[in-house]
Amino acid sequence: MITQVENPILEIHDLTVSYDQNPVLWNVDLSLPAGNLIGILGPNGAGKSTLIKAIMGLITPTSGYVKVFDKPLNDVRARISYVPQRESVDWNFPASVLDVVMMGTYGKLGLFRRPGKKEKDLALKSLEQVGMNGFVNRQISELSGGQQQRVFIARALAQEADLYLMDEPFAGVDMSTETAIFQLLQEMTAAGKTVIVVHHDIHSAMTFFDWMIMLNLHLVASGPKELVMNEEMLRKTYGGKLNLLTRVTDMIRQKDFNPLKS
Amino acid sequence: MTFDSNAFLIIFTGSLIAISCGFLGVFMMLRKMSMTGDAISHAVLPGIVIGYFVSGSQRSLEVIIGAGLLGILATLMIDWLRKKARVQLDASIGITFTLLFAIGIILINLLAYKVDLDQECVLYGEIAYLPIDSWITKSGLNLGPRITWLAGLNFFFVSGFIYLLFKELTLTSFDENFSSVMGIPSKGVNLALMSIVSYTTVSSFESVGAILVVALLVVPPATAFLWTKSLMPLLKLTAGLGISISVLGYYLAYWIDSSIAGMMVTVAGGLFGISVLIHSKKPSWLRGTSSVKEPFGV
Amino acid sequence: MEDFVYFFTFQDPSILWVVLGIMLLGIGSAYVGTFSFLDKKALLGDAISHAVLPGICLGFMMAGEKNPVYIVTGAFISGGIATFLSSWLKQNTKLSEDTIIATILSVFFGFGIVLLTSLQKSGNPEIAGLNSFIFGNAIGISEADLMLYGGLSLVIIVVLTLLLKEFRLMVFDPQYGKAIGFPMKTISFLFNVLMILAVVIGIQAIGVVLMAALLITPGAAARFWTDRLNPLLILAAIFSVLSGILGTYVSFVLPQMPTGPWVVVFLSLFALISFLIAPKSGIVSRFISRKKYLRKTHRDHLMKGLYKAKEEGKESLPIEEIYELYPYQKAQTTKSISELITMGFIARNQQTIELTERGNSEAMRIVRLHRLWELYLNESMNIAPDHVHDSAEQLEHLITPELEALLEKRLNYPALDPHQETIPREKNDLR
Repeated sequence: MITQVENPILEIHDLTVSYDQNPVLWNVDLSLPAGNLIGILGPNGAGKSTLIKAIMGLITPTSGYVKVFDKPLNDVRARISYVPQRESVDWNFPASVLDVVMMGTYGKLGLFRRPGKKEKDLALKSLEQVGMNGFVNRQISELSGGQQQRVFIARALAQEADLYLMDEPFAGVDMSTETAIFQLLQEMTAAGKTVIVVHHDIHSAMTFFDWMIMLNLHLVASGPKELVMNEEMLRKTYGGKLNLLTRVTDMIRQKDFNPLKS
Repeated sequence: MTFDSNAFLIIFTGSLIAISCGFLGVFMMLRKMSMTGDAISHAVLPGIVIGYFVSGSQRSLEVIIGAGLLGILATLMIDWLRKKARVQLDASIGITFTLLFAIGIILINLLAYKVDLDQECVLYGEIAYLPIDSWITKSGLNLGPRITWLAGLNFFFVSGFIYLLFKELTLTSFDENFSSVMGIPSKGVNLALMSIVSYTTVSSFESVGAILVVALLVVPPATAFLWTKSLMPLLKLTAGLGISISVLGYYLAYWIDSSIAGMMVTVAGGLFGISVLIHSKKPSWLRGTSSVKEPFGV
Repeated sequence: MEDFVYFFTFQDPSILWVVLGIMLLGIGSAYVGTFSFLDKKALLGDAISHAVLPGICLGFMMAGEKNPVYIVTGAFISGGIATFLSSWLKQNTKLSEDTIIATILSVFFGFGIVLLTSLQKSGNPEIAGLNSFIFGNAIGISEADLMLYGGLSLVIIVVLTLLLKEFRLMVFDPQYGKAIGFPMKTISFLFNVLMILAVVIGIQAIGVVLMAALLITPGAAARFWTDRLNPLLILAAIFSVLSGILGTYVSFVLPQMPTGPWVVVFLSLFALISFLIAPKSGIVSRFISRKKYLRKTHRDHLMKGLYKAKEEGKESLPIEEIYELYPYQKAQTTKSISELITMGFIARNQQTIELTERGNSEAMRIVRLHRLWELYLNESMNIAPDHVHDSAEQLEHLITPELEALLEKRLNYPALDPHQETIPREKNDLR
């Protein structure tokens, strides 16, 4: 069940991704509409984070390509923002909340230029949007997991992008914060931005997302929520991995080199 | 105490080197690359020897270029071992620096008749002889100790580098993925940092010795990191520690008649030890009663 | 040459002693090093080896001479303190592991340099021997030293061999070891003791700065040749013994040369050769097997071309037409043709080429795998028929007979692929 769209904001063409020699994502081919709140769902190890990283160019795909705003990624980096998983950085880094959020503005500043008042105001505004304005000067290691997550979202907001990719932004966040952030994301999409979120809770996914991508080593479904949220798709996504695909993956891993790389 | 111009020069030069190394070391530490810094400072040795051999002088441009190239080569070799030969990172570092350093020592021995470098000088440096090694222009004008000028130049480059690339260095150290996504060339920033670390190593090896450069790269930043919560204070405290280490190191070495560079490191270690005792998460034998768990099980 | 014969026939008993010592020492440190390499603690060994310097100097000061017992004891104690501190700092500060190791390494070494310099200025005539600890001097080892170092090596080797099972658990699955009731803490404590011991006895030959190589490199090199622990340990020991003897030989021939750097160079040479040519994981063999695979894919594609022509009713194809199928690859195509003829898959009839009977069934197999995988992608992975070709082009060369059987079963022996082309099977194929 894969719905393709006209004038997509993001187009993924036959993407296969391997880590070292281990294919973790097979033949993903999809296109996404602008102005939607899009969820990526799937069991652990389904390749959700891998898909996001491949879209951002953080992993070189074995085959296939990605186009954003109908252009190659490098031409449009300033219009894309990213919220990595919280565990991907060392929170002992000597920086305050404001320092981290200001980092979101660095891309637009370019080489050598320093952030000034304008960037600081932007950062403060972003912090207010995620409800963290009381923690501006707090050291980041002193925050709770949920607060750290919100700082990362504020940093992405400060980038003023058009497309946001968020990797598990709700991990370790309490229910009321999750709802508040979801509402914020909905406001953003209403204003024409596109937000893609890796998520694992099907209930809140049903409530908030407009469009869903379901992964399980391969693309199970991509389409408007009403069309893809049914028992069959959920079974295909969460009902265990394809036996044959796992076997093929094992076979490839045991080769001396990656035969999928052209 | 009367003003001793030699003591002042040594302390001043030592401080310049300690601050330059400390500034770079802060970023190396935040990138979890302290051991790579260690590897680079060992690995530049063959470059120094070859540069010396080619130019016939210890104070030539060739030496700096040779060492710079070797420093970059070491970074690339670590990367190559890790990615192409699939050796784990710690072993890649270990193999790279031991091999390059061994080649350097062998070259020193092979070229001993031509290259007036000795192993001891490379290891511990001779900051004590700095006042007698003056930079004299052709017209006979004495401009003061050569090594002080070198250290000053290096300090200027390092501060300029960090001033200009402050935000790129910070971001790539904190979150490399995010910076790549924004289009900041994190690989380029990394390579630039490695190059300037190699350059600093070379320009300091004469005075404090290749291996003790590592101490200055690592220990003051680690100490300051225990006391501070954000980057600017961390850099300032590192600089302050660099100066105090030079002052205390000089006078202690003078007092017991030993290596100044070695004493600077010992003082740095002492300050680090005190800071750890004050700032450890569970100071077991100072305040609490809980015993240390698994003392040897790293 | 004379030197070579003199050295390697061991006429001189002192050379025999030294070589024997180097062998024991090499085996001991390679054993310990391989475990620490597998345990991802390689750089801790580097820290320990730098950290023994102050202990050596203090031992010397206490004894007033180069007494091996004092020196080994001093070195062991300061190595122990460094090991303890590194784990204590890791638990009690926010510093990261590499910062801790670099800090310990440089502070201990700096302190050692202070002691060494004061000793040198003290004017004790025996001090010259102390310098050999920095870069190592195997030839300078006396018989009394050797008894101590060799004996300690033997202890390491024996303990490691007896407790092989326990140390294997420590490296691969300490949680499991704990669960089945092994005292993992004691085992890992014991291992640290052995590691410090290995460093302490190794520095005499290699020197403190380069000792890390003797711990890290043999294991890393041997890792390329085998996946199993016992051959790994034996191979690592062989590498390290050979390098040790070669390094000693060089410093025997060139007396001003320290031993350590040469041992390291030989070790690295073994490692480099392993990285390049080891079967399976070596770079060259990976490259060759990839080349081989690419040649096979080209041959497969050529046979597929012939088979498709057959489907369209052409029993054979002119050579020119085959070249046109693969533009810019004429040389490769010529090679594939002659290879396929040798293999008996195709026959050449003047200027045309056709599949032999064997070739026909092989080509059929490839086409079948291609179309089966296309169908699988389409049916099980929801991929549109116009997107399945590229992936099938790769998988058709890889799918094994077992996987083929699974595919057939999973797709229920289909007749047509997503492009409505027949999935070809032998007539007598059992359904």
